[in-house]
Amino acid sequence: MIDNFKTKQTQEAERSVFLNRIIFSSFAILLLGGLIISRLIYLMVIESDALSLRSVNNTLRTQSIPAPRGLIFDRNNEVIAENKPKFQLEMIPEQVNQLDNSLLSLTDLGILSKDEIITIEERVRKNYQFKSIVVKRNLNEREIAILANNRMLLKGFDIKSRLTRNYPQNEIYAHVVGYMGSISKSDYERFDPSFYTGKEQIGKSAIEREYEHILRGAPGKRKLLVNVRGRVMDEIEKDAFSTGNDIILTLNSELQRTAYESMSGKKGSVVALDPRNGEILAMISVPSFDPTAISLGLTQAEFDKLNSDKKRPLFNRAIAGQYPPGSTVKPMLALGALDMGIVDSEYYHTCEGEFRLPNYSRPFGDWSTHGSVNTKRAIQASCDVYFYESAVEMGIERMSAFLKKFNLGKETEIDLASEKNGVVPNKEWKKNNFKSKQNQNWYLGETVIAGIGQGYMLATPLQLAYATSIIANKGYAYKPHILKQIYLNDTGEILTNEAERTDHLMEIDQQYWDIVFDGMNAVVNEQRGTAYGVFPENSNIAGKTGTSQVFSMDKRSGDDVPEELRDHGLFIGFAPINNPEIVIAVIVENGGGGRVAAAPVAERMFSKFLEIGGREVDQSN
Amino acid sequence: MHQLHIDMPLMIAVLLASGVSAIAIFSASNSSENFLMSHLVSIGLSILAMIVAAQFSPLFYSRISPWLYAVCLILLIAVFFYGETRNNATRWIDIGISFQPSELLKIAMPLIVARYIASGSIPLNNINIVASLILVLLPTALIFKQPDLGTSVLIAFSGLVIIFLSGIKKRYLFSAITLFLGCLPFIWKTIHPFQQQRVLTFLDPESDPLGAGYHIIQSKIAIGSGGLFGKGWLNGTQGQLDFLPERTTDFIFSILAEEFGLIGVLFIISIYLFIVGRGLLIAINSDDLFSRLAASSISLTFFIYVFVNIGMTSGLLPVVGVPLPLISKGGTSSLTLMASLGILMSLHTHKRLIPK
Repeated sequence: MIDNFKTKQTQEAERSVFLNRIIFSSFAILLLGGLIISRLIYLMVIESDALSLRSVNNTLRTQSIPAPRGLIFDRNNEVIAENKPKFQLEMIPEQVNQLDNSLLSLTDLGILSKDEIITIEERVRKNYQFKSIVVKRNLNEREIAILANNRMLLKGFDIKSRLTRNYPQNEIYAHVVGYMGSISKSDYERFDPSFYTGKEQIGKSAIEREYEHILRGAPGKRKLLVNVRGRVMDEIEKDAFSTGNDIILTLNSELQRTAYESMSGKKGSVVALDPRNGEILAMISVPSFDPTAISLGLTQAEFDKLNSDKKRPLFNRAIAGQYPPGSTVKPMLALGALDMGIVDSEYYHTCEGEFRLPNYSRPFGDWSTHGSVNTKRAIQASCDVYFYESAVEMGIERMSAFLKKFNLGKETEIDLASEKNGVVPNKEWKKNNFKSKQNQNWYLGETVIAGIGQGYMLATPLQLAYATSIIANKGYAYKPHILKQIYLNDTGEILTNEAERTDHLMEIDQQYWDIVFDGMNAVVNEQRGTAYGVFPENSNIAGKTGTSQVFSMDKRSGDDVPEELRDHGLFIGFAPINNPEIVIAVIVENGGGGRVAAAPVAERMFSKFLEIGGREVDQSN
Repeated sequence: MHQLHIDMPLMIAVLLASGVSAIAIFSASNSSENFLMSHLVSIGLSILAMIVAAQFSPLFYSRISPWLYAVCLILLIAVFFYGETRNNATRWIDIGISFQPSELLKIAMPLIVARYIASGSIPLNNINIVASLILVLLPTALIFKQPDLGTSVLIAFSGLVIIFLSGIKKRYLFSAITLFLGCLPFIWKTIHPFQQQRVLTFLDPESDPLGAGYHIIQSKIAIGSGGLFGKGWLNGTQGQLDFLPERTTDFIFSILAEEFGLIGVLFIISIYLFIVGRGLLIAINSDDLFSRLAASSISLTFFIYVFVNIGMTSGLLPVVGVPLPLISKGGTSSLTLMASLGILMSLHTHKRLIPK
C-alpha cells in the first residue's frame, strides 16, 4: 500500500500523532458515555417514581356506570314508573371509513335529515375521534330493522341501548309522580354529584324529585386500561353499581284512573285522601301531559307549546291551584258559629233572598230564597244569608282565626314541592298585601262575602281535602303524604312512612259536630240538599257543594256566559259518615256550579271507593 | 485463502445486539410475528452484507473509494434535481429501487477522506486540510439541503473526525469551533421551520405536550418508568399501548429501557462500548494510515450514532431522526452500518496479508 513508500521515521511520527488523538477520543467517549449513563440514572432512578406515575396516568381511565333507578308502585303494587331500554344510533368517528358517504347513506335510508347531517359533522369535528357520538336518539323498531339490514354499509356505527323512564299510566300520574330530565347545574347544587355519572337523568318534579335521593342508585366504577387513542384494552377493576330503591306510594290506581276519567275534557283537580292516616289515595290535575315523552326529551318547539298552553297542562292544580272555596267553607263556619255561641241548634233565621248592611246601597244576594233555616238546613241548602249574618256577628278576626284551625292559609306540608298557601284574609292580611292606603282598610262588606268563602279567600284542592279530613275526624287529622313505603334494595328491608297526627279542634262540643255532620249528610241525601239526587238514595256520605264566582255578574246564567268566566264548581265530602275512610275534594274550573260540575265527579269517586273498598281493607292488613 | 475473514469478538457483539434487536422489535410491534420475521430477514441480510464486506481487502476499499465517492456525489446531485419528496424532504432517488444516496455516503465518506490523507502524510499541511474539508463539506451541504440535518451532521462527523485524528493543530480546531458557534445564528436561519421547531421542543418539551413535545415526553416517561429492573418483556405500557411513537425505529431504545430497566440498558450500552473499543483497538493495531483512519472513523461514528440516539430519546439532545445502531428496524441504514462494520473486520483480518 501507499504506506510502503513512507520511511520508518515518518511512520513512527504518524503513529504517535494518531495515538495521541485516539487517546483524546477515548476520553471523549468515556465523557459522553458517562453523560448518557448519568442521564439514564437520573431518569430511571431519581425521576423514576414521577415518570412511573405519568405512565400509569397515561393508561388508566376511570369510567362510571350509571345505576338503574328505583321503580315506583301504587299501593297495590301496580307499576307507575319503570325503566325501559331505548335504542340510539352511535358512532365512533375514528372507526368510520368515510364519514360523508356513511351519513349520506343514512339519509337515503330515511334515518337522518339533511340538516341533522350538518350538525353531526360539526360535532364530529369538535369531539375526540375515539369517543362515541349519538347520531340519533329514540330509534323506533322500523329504524332498528333498517339499520340492522344495512350494517355492512355502516362501519363504526352501532345501536346502543340506554335506560329511560317510562310511565305506563301516561297522563294519569303526571303531576303527582313527575318526570325526569337531564341533570343541570342547579341539580348538582341540590344533589350530591358523586351519585351521578352525568349520563343518567334526574327527577325533575314531584315524587321523582322529592325522593330523588331514594330512587337513584349509586353508580359503579370501572378502571380501564386504555391505549393512546383511548380504546379500552382491558378492565382492571370493577365496582358494581347499586340499584336505586323502589318506592310504594299511597296512591290507588283505580281511584286515580276514575278521577282522571271523570275529569276528562275539564280543567281542575281531584284530591282523595284517607282521613285515618293522611294517605293520599288520588291526586290529579287536568289537563295533564305525557311524562314519558318529556322524560325522553322534547324538542324546544314541543316544550314551548306545552309551556305556553293557556290551559296550563304542566301546572299542578291540586297543590298550587288557588281557588275561592265558596260555600265549601260553610260547614266550618257553621261549626264556628255554634262554638262561639252565635247560633244554636234551635236558632232559625228567615232567608228572604238578600242581606242588607247599613250604609251599603246594594244588598248581598242569595242564590235562592230559603225561608226559615237553622244551621243544619243552612248547610243543606247552602243558604248564603244565614252565613252572611253569622259572619257579621263573628267578625273577620274570629272568622279567620277559626278557619285557620282547619289548616287553611298555610301549607299542608305534603311531600311535594311548590305547594301554595292559599289565603284566609283578615285585617292584617289586607294591610300587608295591598299597596295603596285606601285599599288597606277592611270593609264590613268584605266580612260578609268571606262568610260564603268569596272575596279574598283562596284554598288549594289539597287544603280543602285536608280541612275536610279535620271535619271527618272531628278535630284532628294526619299529615297528608304520598310516600307509603321504601323497599331498600341492598337489605330487602321495607321502611314505612308513619303518619303524623295533628290536633286542630279538639275542644268542640260533640253535638256541634253532629249538627254539621247532619247538615252535610242532608246535602247529599235530603230534598233541597244541594247535591241531592246526584248520589244514590241514602248514601253513607257527607258533603258540601261550592260555587265560586270567577266574575261578578248579574244573574246572567246558562250558556251565554263565556267559558272562562263561568263559575268554578266545588265539592268536598267524606264517607262513611261514622268512622270516615275517604275524603274527597273536587274542583272543576269554569264548570258551572258545584252541583252540576263537581258533585258528579265526587259521586263516581265514592262509588269506585265502595266498589274496591273491601279490597282496600284487605290491603292495609 | 479459503478462510473467511471474520473478527470473532465483533461478530459475537453484533449477534448479541441482533438478538436484543429481535426481542425489542417483537415487543415494539405489539408481538407481531410477521413484523419480527421480516426484521429477522433484514438482520440476516445485513449480517451477510457485513461478512461479504469483510472479505474484500483494505486495498480494494482504498482503490474504489474515489469512484464510490464520485457516484455518491452524482446521485446526491441527481436527488437535488430528480429526487422523490416524502414528508417534505427530498432524500430518495429511484434507480430501479428507491434508496437514499446519503446512506451510501456513510461508507464512502470515511474511505475517501482516509485515502486522501493517507496518500500524503500527517500532521496535515494547510492545503491538505482545505482539500479534505472540501471533500467532507460538499456532500454534507447537499444532504443538509435535502433537508436531513441528522444524517448530514453524522456524515460530516465521519469525515471531520479523520481530519482531527490526522493531527490538525489545536488552534485550528479551536478557531473552527469558534467559527461554528459564530455561524449558529446564520445556520438557524437556513434550517427549516420544522427543524427549528425540533430544537425549540428539545429546549422545552412540556410547552406543547400533545404536539411537538409529545415524542420526547412519552419517550422520557417510557425510560423513567422502566426504573432499575424494567416492567418486563412485553409489559411496557408506553410501548404496548401505543403511547410511544416510532418505537420500532428511532425510539426503540425507550422500549428497551421501559421493559428491561437500567440494568438492561447498561448491558446494551456495554455491547456498544465493546464494539467501539474493539474498533479503536483495530485502528491502533493497523499497520497503515489508511486502515487506521478508516477504522477509527467507522468506530467513532458508530459511537456518535449511539450517543445521538440515546441522547435524543432521553431528552439530552434534540430529536434528529437517528436510529439506534444494530437494534432499530431500518432497511438500508442497518445494511450500510453493518457493511461498515464488515469493512472494520476487513481492515483487521487482512492486515498481515499485506506485503511489506
